[in-house]
Amino acid sequence: MTEGGLGAAGAGPAALGQITYLEAIRMALADALRDDERVFLLGEDIGVFGGAFGATKGLIDEFGPERVLDTPLSEEGFVGAAIGAAWMGERPIVELQFADFVTCPFDVIVTVAAKTHWRSGLALPLVIRMPSGGGVRGGPFHAGSPEGWFVGQPGLKVVCPGTVGDAYGLLRAAVDDPDPVLVFEHKGLYRRLRAPSPAPGHRTPLGRAHLARAGADATIVTYGSGVQIALDAVDVSGADVEVLDLRTVWPLDEAAVLESVEKTSRLLVLQEAARSTGVAGLVLSLVARRGFELLDAPPALHAPPDTPVPFAPELEDAYLPSVDSTVNELERLLAY
Amino acid sequence: MPTEPCADVAGIDRDTRLALLRLVLLQRLFEERVLVLYRQGRIFGSVYTGRGQEAVAAAAGLALDPDDVVCPLNRELACHFARGVTVADVFRNFLGRADGPTRGRDGNMHFGVPAKGVFPLVSMLGDLVPVTVGAALAFKRRGERRVALTFAGEGAFSVGDTHEGLNLAGVLQVPAVFVLQSNRYSYSTPAERQMVNTNLAQRVRGGWSIPADRVDGTDALAFYAAVHDAVERARSGLGPQAVEALTLRMDGHAAHDDARYVPGGLREEYAERWDPVSRLEERLLLDGVAPEHLARVRDQAAAEIASGLADAETSPAPDPADLEDGVWAAPLR
Repeated sequence: MTEGGLGAAGAGPAALGQITYLEAIRMALADALRDDERVFLLGEDIGVFGGAFGATKGLIDEFGPERVLDTPLSEEGFVGAAIGAAWMGERPIVELQFADFVTCPFDVIVTVAAKTHWRSGLALPLVIRMPSGGGVRGGPFHAGSPEGWFVGQPGLKVVCPGTVGDAYGLLRAAVDDPDPVLVFEHKGLYRRLRAPSPAPGHRTPLGRAHLARAGADATIVTYGSGVQIALDAVDVSGADVEVLDLRTVWPLDEAAVLESVEKTSRLLVLQEAARSTGVAGLVLSLVARRGFELLDAPPALHAPPDTPVPFAPELEDAYLPSVDSTVNELERLLAY
Repeated sequence: MPTEPCADVAGIDRDTRLALLRLVLLQRLFEERVLVLYRQGRIFGSVYTGRGQEAVAAAAGLALDPDDVVCPLNRELACHFARGVTVADVFRNFLGRADGPTRGRDGNMHFGVPAKGVFPLVSMLGDLVPVTVGAALAFKRRGERRVALTFAGEGAFSVGDTHEGLNLAGVLQVPAVFVLQSNRYSYSTPAERQMVNTNLAQRVRGGWSIPADRVDGTDALAFYAAVHDAVERARSGLGPQAVEALTLRMDGHAAHDDARYVPGGLREEYAERWDPVSRLEERLLLDGVAPEHLARVRDQAAAEIASGLADAETSPAPDPADLEDGVWAAPLR
């Protein structure tokens, strides 16, 4: 499912010592390739071209076409092949050009990758990276946040890095992990987020949320693009609000969510996935079941409406959560 | 109509012929036994058999080296036995026992034994074609002289995964072997309703430039020779290979299906003339193997089935308390 264009947005020169979210991913891939002979990359146009968004740019020069393997346009085929290679003890890292295209290999991911260990004790260590999220005028097939389709699926792990450090650290941890891990990168963050380069070898532990900001009056539980939006919204509002970055959205770090809600008694879930998908249902169900008596206000959800992601700027800007809309939601929650 | 003996294929020694006979008999007798258990209500779910296709499964399994790997489907029981999977373990899977290959988590032929190089079957036909290609890709990457083999029938040929996998195998030139099971029916749908050109070997040759012979799959010796050659060509670096096995699925799709949609007389003709077990026995008689020897092979296979079942029946039932174990290799909570 190849379409060009969206990856072409330019990146300015990095500030000294700072790298972008996209560069962190490239660095993680290079370090994983360097550290472990079993690691290889496969996907469409990842070799000489360097991938639709440039995540693998230059890697073929250092590691060669056998380890940065261009494939036919065939997601079910090459994700299936990654499963077979993982069966044989390799550590494949697959790139899908857009997370929306995960519909194509959905079958082998859910049927084969997810269920094999439980059925047979055979671990399948593979990583599937895919750019999700909007803000690039991608429309219904290039801007989706489909992580919710896999949240709740036994046997899979799902991570959504929201910072430069986690873009590196979650990917390295995913490659180390013996289970199939889906990495939903956020394409809107690729060139927008900059931070000091993570220490080589840094790992962000899977399954552990991170308190991005401590506070006392409310908790925003979020992930991916929501992390920076939540931090900015808290700054704008001036309230003393905690921001919990889930990082791994499945399985959920339930203890971290409940601990924060216990402290603040108010919960806002913020996500870019449409409101009836994503992770929100899982978080809200958890808090309803196990945190009900901790709450001083009904838990709130800020997420797009239940439609595909629209194309026109007027529509997409209205669709996606923004700092302003998040401030409004937060103020409503605090006023309850 | 008399049974047509297997062709006297040169280069297949007596031990190999007898090994093939043991394997086809094990599949035949196992499946006959398991159907009885099913009708007695002692097996839950469903039962899939490969009556008429035993020679394909046996030959493909026997053609592989111990370090090779395979993704069998549900009509290839003899392939499991060729890999050293035990009769008792297969019965444990059918019975849903705690110490079977899937520990009661899956039933009937839906299992694999990774320690024997056998990937666990999934129901979605076609999925294991690209998985096989990936295993073969690993061998190629590491320079190992190993082969990965899988099966695909007419139903799988209507599924995109099969075509994606074959295409990928060709593009990457990996040591994979595809056994194309032309058994004429996908559930109740005849091959002619699955595709216009039912000559799978021709399509694989023409569409993906993968060498593919079309062979009588009821002739254990002819099929063994063909699949063994294909495996060795793949092993020697000549890229992916295929062999089409022409058979008839002599039972229904599963135990509930009486296959009344098969035109009258066809199954009877196969049972009389083209039964793979009888054909191989006839060949061995012509080879000069004593009838008593053949009877002994059959008795030993029957004894293996009986003792395997007895073992499996003493196995414990799974404990619901363990149900959530092993969802992940490395649980996060």
